[in-house]
Amino acid sequence: MGQGVRSILVAFTLLLGCAEAFGAARIAWRAEAEIDSAATASPAETFEKSVDLRPLAEIAVQSGGRIKSLGSFAQGEMGFISGPRLVNGQSPLFTYFDLLIRPEAYEDADVIFVKGGSVRQRIADAVLREDPTLEERMRAFQSSGLISAALLARDGVAEVLEQMQGDLLRTAKVMDAVRGAQMLMQTDALLRGLRIVPPAPSDADQRWHSISEVMLLAADAGAIKASGKEVLPVAGLDVALQQQCAAQWRSMVEAWINGDAQRVNASARALAALLPTLNPSASPDPARLRWEAWYFASGNLSWIWLVYALSVILLLLAVVYRWPRARSAGLVVFALAFLLQTLALALRWWISARFPNSNMFEAVTTSAWFGGCAAVILEVALRRRAVAGLIALASAFASAVALMSAHFLPVQLNAQIGNMMPVLHDVWLYIHTNVIIFSYCLIFMAAVSAALYLAYRALGGKRVHASVGGVAALSPEGMGGLRSERTGEVLDGVTMLLMKLSFVLLWAGIAMGAIWADHSWGRPWGWDPKEVFALNTFVVFAVLVHVRYRAIDKGLWTALLAVVGAAVMLFNWIVINFVITGLHSYA
Amino acid sequence: MFAVRWIFDLFSSVRFGITLLVLLFVYMSVGSAGIVYPVHPNLLHPDAWVHDQLRQWRPFEMTEFEWFHWWPFNLLVGLIAANMIVTTLRRIPFRTVNLGVWMIHTGIIVLIIGSVRYFNAKVEGDAPVARRKVVLEVDGNEGSVEMLAAQGARAVIGEGAEQYAVEVVDIDPSWTLRTGASDGEAAYSVTVSVQTSARRFMRQLIAGRPDLTEDLVPGGGPGQPMQRAVKATGSAIVDRALRMRLEYESQGWFYMRNDLAKAWALYVRPAGSSEWTMRPIDGLPLYNDRVSSAADVLLADPSTAPLRPMLLAVPPTEGDPFPDLTIAVDGYLRYAQLRSLLVPGGASAPFNPTATLDISGDQGAASTYRLMALDPERSTADDGLLRMAAVSSEADFDRLLRPAEIRVRVPAAGIDVVQPVRVPKEGPDADAFVPVGDPMLGYGFRIRAAQDDLPVGGRNASVLIMDLKTPSGVIRRWVFDDAALTRDVPDGDGGHAAPVEPDRAVEVEYVPGCGRALVTLVVGPDERQLRLIAAFGDAVGKALPIEVDGAVQLPAGLTVKLSSYEPRARIIEGPVPIPLEQRIRDAREMFSMAHVIVPGAAPTWIRFSPYAFDDVRFALRRHPFHPQRVRLADGRELDILFSRERLPLGTDVALDRFLLATHSGGYTGESGTIRDYTSLLRFRDSPDQPWSDPVQVSVNAPIEHGGLWFFQAQWDPPEPASARDPRGSAGLNYTVLGVGNREGVWTQLAGCVIAVAGMAYAFYVKPLLIRRRTERAKASANRRIALAGAAP
Repeated sequence: MGQGVRSILVAFTLLLGCAEAFGAARIAWRAEAEIDSAATASPAETFEKSVDLRPLAEIAVQSGGRIKSLGSFAQGEMGFISGPRLVNGQSPLFTYFDLLIRPEAYEDADVIFVKGGSVRQRIADAVLREDPTLEERMRAFQSSGLISAALLARDGVAEVLEQMQGDLLRTAKVMDAVRGAQMLMQTDALLRGLRIVPPAPSDADQRWHSISEVMLLAADAGAIKASGKEVLPVAGLDVALQQQCAAQWRSMVEAWINGDAQRVNASARALAALLPTLNPSASPDPARLRWEAWYFASGNLSWIWLVYALSVILLLLAVVYRWPRARSAGLVVFALAFLLQTLALALRWWISARFPNSNMFEAVTTSAWFGGCAAVILEVALRRRAVAGLIALASAFASAVALMSAHFLPVQLNAQIGNMMPVLHDVWLYIHTNVIIFSYCLIFMAAVSAALYLAYRALGGKRVHASVGGVAALSPEGMGGLRSERTGEVLDGVTMLLMKLSFVLLWAGIAMGAIWADHSWGRPWGWDPKEVFALNTFVVFAVLVHVRYRAIDKGLWTALLAVVGAAVMLFNWIVINFVITGLHSYA
Repeated sequence: MFAVRWIFDLFSSVRFGITLLVLLFVYMSVGSAGIVYPVHPNLLHPDAWVHDQLRQWRPFEMTEFEWFHWWPFNLLVGLIAANMIVTTLRRIPFRTVNLGVWMIHTGIIVLIIGSVRYFNAKVEGDAPVARRKVVLEVDGNEGSVEMLAAQGARAVIGEGAEQYAVEVVDIDPSWTLRTGASDGEAAYSVTVSVQTSARRFMRQLIAGRPDLTEDLVPGGGPGQPMQRAVKATGSAIVDRALRMRLEYESQGWFYMRNDLAKAWALYVRPAGSSEWTMRPIDGLPLYNDRVSSAADVLLADPSTAPLRPMLLAVPPTEGDPFPDLTIAVDGYLRYAQLRSLLVPGGASAPFNPTATLDISGDQGAASTYRLMALDPERSTADDGLLRMAAVSSEADFDRLLRPAEIRVRVPAAGIDVVQPVRVPKEGPDADAFVPVGDPMLGYGFRIRAAQDDLPVGGRNASVLIMDLKTPSGVIRRWVFDDAALTRDVPDGDGGHAAPVEPDRAVEVEYVPGCGRALVTLVVGPDERQLRLIAAFGDAVGKALPIEVDGAVQLPAGLTVKLSSYEPRARIIEGPVPIPLEQRIRDAREMFSMAHVIVPGAAPTWIRFSPYAFDDVRFALRRHPFHPQRVRLADGRELDILFSRERLPLGTDVALDRFLLATHSGGYTGESGTIRDYTSLLRFRDSPDQPWSDPVQVSVNAPIEHGGLWFFQAQWDPPEPASARDPRGSAGLNYTVLGVGNREGVWTQLAGCVIAVAGMAYAFYVKPLLIRRRTERAKASANRRIALAGAAP
């Protein structure tokens, strides 16, 4: 297609708006690509593998009031479309661009994520009523949750979606997500989201500009003039630089359509180098963007659960078979896992510029990290005592569970970094929340040792309990009172040690939360479900303390109630948060 | 004596304490999380289990706050406190080693005491505070008129030729000043349009800067319909007889939170008054519907009506304007919408032909329409393409068969022609006149627009807007199918001149025929006679007989089926309870309504209004306001409002400014882009005092005034223009403050601190003390043994 025809097309579509212009130009380039040469086109998979978007993944984009890396932005946006799934195993950034540049390739591709088995079932039934030959595909849908926009648009399916949209109690939220995904997949939305052009230095806090606002700069002045519409550069930024950015962007899109990976890479590199120069003061530290892109590309480092799991295996072997070497190895692996988790936490802290404790992902993983801190301190303090290795085991198990949750439940524990709600901008977020999540982790750790005690008793262990605890247990002399040959006594001692710490921290945390609530919501206590179940957890431990005082089989009752206390704490964190929402909807 | 001892022993029992704690756990769990119970024998199926909130069931009807202040909870806490006190005094010696337990128990008792005080004195609610009101005054007119500074607010002041109709047409909360020392400052700007019989202009008011008030007048070029009066006339104010200013719209009340503890109330006032008098309603439920008669609600199956008769008296209160009137409430719906239903009216009902048509295409898509021939708003559908009409004669029916025509007569020139009506589309021919008669005579017409089924005076009218060319000039005429309504609209005053009687030199008659309708269902002349007119194209319409349940095939693959027809339909109106799954989760009581019986008047449903605004002119955006006027048998009229109880703030509070702090890129409509909300408030404890200096209330930063704490609770977000609201809103016109007291919190805090200190002592100091004591005892024993061994 000649330059003149393309210019006319661009000029015509400018009348319709930038997204349409982009779409039409894309079609023109596509047609040109088909005419030009089939020899330069690569199969899609080879193309995907040959494209290197790393330079672009590290450029800055403004989204939701934050400046983030394009890599993490794409991951977040694709999360809204395809949930936790990767489309064709492609990186989220590649899929984002591919959706934008080649939408026709995704018209009937299974890319929209639908949450919930019953919702998937209803959609699959509707699809199969219309086309029974899609049985295999629907089986895959029910497993992966991914379905295509074309299938959702079929009359029978659309009717079912409409019905589910009307059920505000059960399915409307899932349907909202599906509708959101469909809207986000539109070229216009994808293009509008690419706010990678910074504002002028004089407009430091203003919105960044979408690439669509400048992408036609100097494309064809004559055609644009003929259309009667002017494409104006962003005021206050170097016009020549903007034109270069626009040219590189157009070159990348054209090469993408042609399947020319080398040219895509060259244009992406050039664009990534040019964009930060538009307004260097607006772009954040490149190192921060680079690490952010890496952090998200590395699955938020939640794979560390594997290291913790290994330490759990080794430390369990040490407990069951009393292998000193297994304990030493387990402690070394635990220390390594804790170090990695500390680095992950520190990295997230640096990237987000705030301590990570303000959403579910952060609360769960940071809670486990606090448990790890306690375990490291106690293991060092009690390294020569019978409890050595047990606290690390409890902590490793807690951390493994927390990080596995983050790894395998990315929808519920969304790792994206967003701005905090205004109510969370308070020093008490760091005091109350950290104390509470620390106590929660200790409660879980106490339940681990309690469960081991119950297993010990179930396997015929003696009816024993530790006669010391508290600070006495913290001191080498005190813990020395526990005889290592009596496993049950040791396990009960660990449970009491952790339970007492969590008891004090939980009470203090609740009181601190009340102080925060008093000046934030106007009341220290509102009988919100989250408050009530935090208090309920405390009540269980109060029962434990008094039952231990009266019961004959102290070890058994302590272990049972420690497990019940952890169950109530988990109920608070899971059921109350996800089913019975209240004021603490963000926690 | 034995009984007393038994009680003391019981309350000294740790086992009893544990039992109480377990009961407390169960009570709190059930009240907060609810219960789960099976509804199907297959217990393994996930749908066999249902989660429900026990406290919301009919016998309880309790909010969380009420559940945790019910006597069983109070009794439990009281017993636990008594158990702790008795046990501590009788069984735990006051020694150093036991200090921890003493402190824990003491701390919890202190906490309970503080909580009793706190919760018994607790009041909590919210107070909406608008930013400004517009005060209007006119020379020679006593008093002033006020309206809220809110987009679309209207008022009228003055009389006769000096009457001003004003409307707030624009509010910019961040208007940038370009004046002297204030250059660059952001200010709150309110623009009001003013219409008098003689002129139209706008006035811009700037909050806190009355010196910057100025008028805008029409003119200034095509791209700028209004220009500054100072430029056009040399004076900033074009009409000095009308004075306007912005004042604080202060708030003196706060409304109790209904979801904290039920606080329903009716408000009454004589019609025309602006002062509401509150009447609390005791016993009205919150979660469950109750009606006294199935006829009170509109349900397809009346047996499903939530029949649970109740009759709650709402007597007059102190200072009530109707001391002789006890109102009653006998129904409540948690979430319902008012709708109308058509039912057969019977032979004695007035003629009101109503039909339901199903229209389907050959692709299978189908739509159902309900049409009412005599209701101007319900006689057409799909932008007039479908219509229902009633005729009283065959001649009327024949007129409906014809396409739209005009008859132009110029008696003086002997012209009398009939022409089909065609509304030209935009283009070069749109402005061309169609000649009438001999072109040399200079008569012609051009049609600008046609509108059928225009509701005028309770009936449907059709109008043609056309220009008539005569040798003496062009006349703009609105020609109605009812000639009595036809008027000429002279040019001048920007197109706002008053219409006049038509110039009789040129007579135009408009016969709309079937108008733009492709399908018309016609009733008549007999009320049971039904025919369908299909008018595709310009040809004469085709009449087709149709009967109930009968179908007619039309061109373009359309099938029209008459599903129902009722010649004397009657409309009944009432509330329809919305099924649970269709309710907006966070709607709370927004869709609630109460069935109110006022002696001497017909019972009526009154929808919930969150606040008792003085007037609809003072209702805040997004806050529905549904006062209902009721006429009593003795002729008196009163307004009734269904809302929440309110308490005086004890001060007037005004909103000076509202600030929105955002993250990078400003507010984009996403809540994640907001950093903080801040209200700058002023207080005034009595009207004769000046306003205080502005004080800032923002999230996590409340302030105290007069024993009440004020929190930032809600705000007025910007809303983009939409089809429903073409103007949209820039927002920031009001704030909603959370208001509450906090007596006893320091006692509560002291209790918590004592308890936590006790825990630390009991867990970490006491074992050390015991160990040291044991070691000392061991050492002492060893010394004794050693001494004994050394003894001869």
